Amino acid sequence: MSISVLVLGAPFEHQASYTAYRYVQAALELGQSVHRVFFYQAGVHSASQLACPPRDEFDLYHAWQALKSEHDLDLVVCIAAAARRGLIDPGEAKRHNKAAFNLAKEFELSGLGQLIEAISQSERLITFGE
Amino acid sequence: MTDPNRKKLLIVITKAPYGSSSAQEALDVVLAAGTFDQDVSLLISADACYQLLPSQQPEVIQGKNTYKMLKALPIFGIENIYVDDNEALHRGINLEITTLPVQFINQSAIADLYQQADTVLRF
Repeated sequence: MSISVLVLGAPFEHQASYTAYRYVQAALELGQSVHRVFFYQAGVHSASQLACPPRDEFDLYHAWQALKSEHDLDLVVCIAAAARRGLIDPGEAKRHNKAAFNLAKEFELSGLGQLIEAISQSERLITFGE
Repeated sequence: MTDPNRKKLLIVITKAPYGSSSAQEALDVVLAAGTFDQDVSLLISADACYQLLPSQQPEVIQGKNTYKMLKALPIFGIENIYVDDNEALHRGINLEITTLPVQFINQSAIADLYQQADTVLRF
């Protein structure tokens, strides 16, 4: 069965991103196919490469990046939601004339069409929100 | 012939306008679903019923007018717009108050909407 996941809650602030991570990890371990993980609303903050959790706390940001490296997941961040919240890649930094970028390389910025495509291509969409 | 990838999508919105960005970002998803030719139904419930109030003046607080976004939905192919009549009436909102092309529906019709949907998105 093909699954897609929608993450709406901010990491640390809210459990949504962590639970989504655990869910995707479990699905992959069971041999399920994860078509896409789409980050929207405050969920986009999961893609920051600048977050520095204390050493004695779980590093959810790194965990998502590692999951991508291990399983070649499609991690897509809504470009409009991300830009509004100050989360940009090198291309967007150049386009908006900003001094820096902060999107981890494991994530890709794209439009809401990627969410709609994920819904149409997957048998299930599981939302993790507030 | 129906496209097997054209899903029946139910989008449920529950948040009041302006107090959070959720109302605006949820309507962006509704518009995207319409643009990408999905079979979309929109259900307005809980505090989202306040989005139906006319004479909103969000420009005073630099807000984006979600009422105008709702009004534009039919242009983007979203014709099925429903309001949870129970939730609306609790908030003093009825069919006479709004000029939007919406249908007020009861609990059993809402249950049918959920039943018929392939995917439900709730904001």
